[in-house]
Amino acid sequence: MAVQPPDLATARGADPAADPLDATATGPARASRRRGTGKGLWIPGTILGLIVLACFAWPLVYRDLPSPTAGSLLAANLPPFSPGHLLGTDPLGNDIVSRLLHGGRVSLEVGLTSNAIGLLLGGSLGMFAAFRGGWLETVTMRLLDMLIAFPSLVLVLVVSTYLTPSKLNVIWAISFFSIPTFARLARAATLRLREQVYVVAARLAGQRDGAILLRHIAPNVLPQLLTYSLLWVAAAIAIEASLSFLGFGVPASEPSWGMMISRGQAYISSNPELVLIPSACLFLTIVCLNTLGDALRARTGAP
Amino acid sequence: MTAGNGTGRPLLEVRNLVQEFVVRAHGGVRGGVVHAVSDVSFEVRAGETLGVVGETGSGKSTMVRSVLQAPPPKSGEVWFQGVDLAGARKRRDLVAARRQMQAVFQDPYGSLDPKWTVFSIVEEPLAAYRTGDRRQRRARVEEVLDLVGLDPSVFGDRKPGQLSGGQCQRVAIARALTLAPALIVCDEAVSSLDVLSQAQVLNLFERLRAELGLSYLFIAHDLALVKQVSDRVAVMYLGTLCEVGPAEELYRNPLHPYTKALLDSIPSPDPERPRPRVPDELAGEPPSPLDPPSGCRFRTRCPRAAEICAVEAPPVRAARPDHTVACHFPLSPAAPVSPVEQSGDSAAE
Amino acid sequence: MTTQIQPDTATRTADPDAPLLTIENLEVTFRTRDALVHAVRGVDLTVHAGQTLAVIGESGSGKTVTSRAVMGLLPRTATVRGSIRLGERQMVGLGEKELRRCLGREVGMIFQDPARSLNPTMRIGNQLTEAIRVHLPMSRRQARERAVELLAMVRLPAPARRFHEYPHQLSGGMRQRVMIAIALACQPGLLIADEATTALDVTTQAQIMDLLLDLQQRFAMGLVLISHDMGLAASYADQVAVMYAGRVVERAPTRRMIAHVRMPYTRALLDATPRLERPPHAPLPVISGRPPDLRVLDPGCAFAPRCSRSQDRCQHERPELTEREPRHEWACFFPCADDSLPGEDER
Repeated sequence: MAVQPPDLATARGADPAADPLDATATGPARASRRRGTGKGLWIPGTILGLIVLACFAWPLVYRDLPSPTAGSLLAANLPPFSPGHLLGTDPLGNDIVSRLLHGGRVSLEVGLTSNAIGLLLGGSLGMFAAFRGGWLETVTMRLLDMLIAFPSLVLVLVVSTYLTPSKLNVIWAISFFSIPTFARLARAATLRLREQVYVVAARLAGQRDGAILLRHIAPNVLPQLLTYSLLWVAAAIAIEASLSFLGFGVPASEPSWGMMISRGQAYISSNPELVLIPSACLFLTIVCLNTLGDALRARTGAP
Repeated sequence: MTAGNGTGRPLLEVRNLVQEFVVRAHGGVRGGVVHAVSDVSFEVRAGETLGVVGETGSGKSTMVRSVLQAPPPKSGEVWFQGVDLAGARKRRDLVAARRQMQAVFQDPYGSLDPKWTVFSIVEEPLAAYRTGDRRQRRARVEEVLDLVGLDPSVFGDRKPGQLSGGQCQRVAIARALTLAPALIVCDEAVSSLDVLSQAQVLNLFERLRAELGLSYLFIAHDLALVKQVSDRVAVMYLGTLCEVGPAEELYRNPLHPYTKALLDSIPSPDPERPRPRVPDELAGEPPSPLDPPSGCRFRTRCPRAAEICAVEAPPVRAARPDHTVACHFPLSPAAPVSPVEQSGDSAAE
Repeated sequence: MTTQIQPDTATRTADPDAPLLTIENLEVTFRTRDALVHAVRGVDLTVHAGQTLAVIGESGSGKTVTSRAVMGLLPRTATVRGSIRLGERQMVGLGEKELRRCLGREVGMIFQDPARSLNPTMRIGNQLTEAIRVHLPMSRRQARERAVELLAMVRLPAPARRFHEYPHQLSGGMRQRVMIAIALACQPGLLIADEATTALDVTTQAQIMDLLLDLQQRFAMGLVLISHDMGLAASYADQVAVMYAGRVVERAPTRRMIAHVRMPYTRALLDATPRLERPPHAPLPVISGRPPDLRVLDPGCAFAPRCSRSQDRCQHERPELTEREPRHEWACFFPCADDSLPGEDER
């Protein structure tokens, strides 16, 4: 039997003094209610910050970093801790540290951009559809459902095969199915918000639909989409890795973590570190993104 | 005291309002129709407060939303200051009319966007109607916040989450007041507040009525509350109005058996009043608006129901001056009973 | 009723005058991130068999926290001090397992929102059967028979048919009846109704209250009504306790309390309640201000800042709840005089 404190259901975010049981009430999360701060947030946050900093800023600062693709075959297969090559080199003589940093850049770029596209396009599509309702909503959502129903990897494969393999096309391909996911999420959130009294009140106050969507709905939907997008960045990076692994990813001139794993695979018995090192980076990044997303979700109370 | 009684047209005139919703059963296959509001007519005169009481599912909130055109009713006319809102083809007419008709809702937190500051919440109607420049708007917002008893310098920058329920409701009232409306619609506006803040807000409503000459359409389930603020009271049951009359008279001599049952059910702090007693017929609860009874909607629970009640919906009659009842067998037959046209322009005597 | 359950000996002691529930100096504090919230600050209450006690207060007065402390339903952030005795048994500090065993058997509780207190995915009959079998050694068949009996006892129409329905198929009033049936499954000596009729319509409220009082008399139960509604208390309770800021500030038999209000806060509550007897548009006499911040423990009377009768003494010294007239206790140095209802005789 679910025992809810009924008297407290009229959650008073205002003064915690008035309703001490408030923490147990399942109401809409209020801005003033803070919980779950601390470890879950700053540990993955810091690690991610370091990774991003290393991938994007370090190559700019540290000019002596060897090129990730112009390695010399003379220096092939150097073991870790070789002079000038901290993690050694790959069978083509490319410095692994350099490839890791450049690869991380590609992976993160693909992950973040495809998400930004999904969030913006999908989010606005879902919000607009839900806010308008009627046939527009039905048609939009059914179309997006079709996209979701399609096996994602096959879809991405098709898209990136027909378009030439390039970073931009991989991003588009991945966005292609992050859009429906964000659209559905935005739609669900909007449907709930649309019934909120303050939205009705805004309409009665003479506010135009566009303004309501922009100023009342979007600011309340966005935090939910943002926390969810963190989880999606991880998924996008993983998809990019699988694409590269299958050979449909970004071109060879630009290394990515996924490509490093796929290339290293051939040498897994002799040089397992070629697979293990990029995998570890991928793993760490994805775990951090997931924990951060979870922590933020718990904090904002998004579903 | 009913100001504006008999002088010209009433401020708000609702005629034969009908609102229905189609619901889907599980799986979305079979549909039913919720007869939320069925043929309701009433009016709110300038400067008066019309209270509407009814239980859960009586359709009073739906009725109010229909009057506000959010969403518009299925059929019927809503005349406000000489404009038929339901028939207003041009959006501009509706928007212009809404300026004069504002609303305050039940949930004090839910009716304010949690991300906005009190100042911008109260300013929103001004911004939406592009009224005045920045400085004028600021002055107006501060003026109405003062009016509802919130110090703008203290509360202006707060967000709803930092306010108590009563304070939130004051903000909602301030927002309703910014455009200087003629009518404020209150849908259970004080029901979720504690007794003391409820009394404070009720007194605020009364003060604003006296100072600004406002009219109210005041919806609540609590009869004592409604009596506190109303000049006239309408009793609603299952989508129809049972009885409309002057507050004092309706509470003293109810004509409709349902009104009497409601009055008898209220526990009073007065030790002299007997313990609430519900007649046996009234046991149970209202039928579903999905499948309302034929004829008189109240007949299934009415102690006075006879055959005719199942056959014919009782017409609205003026049983006393300014006091109408929809019942075949009203409780006080002494008064002359004369049928009245359903059109709604019945009352002014 | 065919299956009579033996009353639990722990609650119904040999001495009929012994109280069912004794709360002494109950204090409940909640730990929040930045402060301690003193929600209940020393409450004394007793409930006897067959007696109806109404605990009245606004939100934040501590009335709900008190009732939850009795049921052991407080979150982990709460610290409970003082004594809660059900019959002879001390409830404060009781282990989870023992507590569960007592609850339902000796004390039942119904809540404001019956929709959320029932499991939406279970038929009501099964929920009721389960509640019975948790506490009583009965076969499934016996428990089912008992469940139908209980549903009939709470006057649920067509109990045998309703037995197989889901909560969403019932109206609010019917759900509350089912909740009462579940709470009374083991015939507890004490029933706590926490705003149990607040969400219901007035006509339904009157029916549910009728039912509660009837059952109370039948089983000589103690009944505690937690409510914000003075009218409800005045109409149905034998005794009223008014709470403010975590303390009981006035307690008396109902009629006496209404006729001879002493505590200015009670007076303010009564005056601010809209009544049918009042003419329309008469301004409600209301006090200003808000309830105090429960994080702060002031030395004086918590109501003093809002009180029209307060004097210097009220700021520094807290009045204790004491019996100053026969059976009438209040916590105030400068109580209201008897001018409220002149000529009113005590019954």
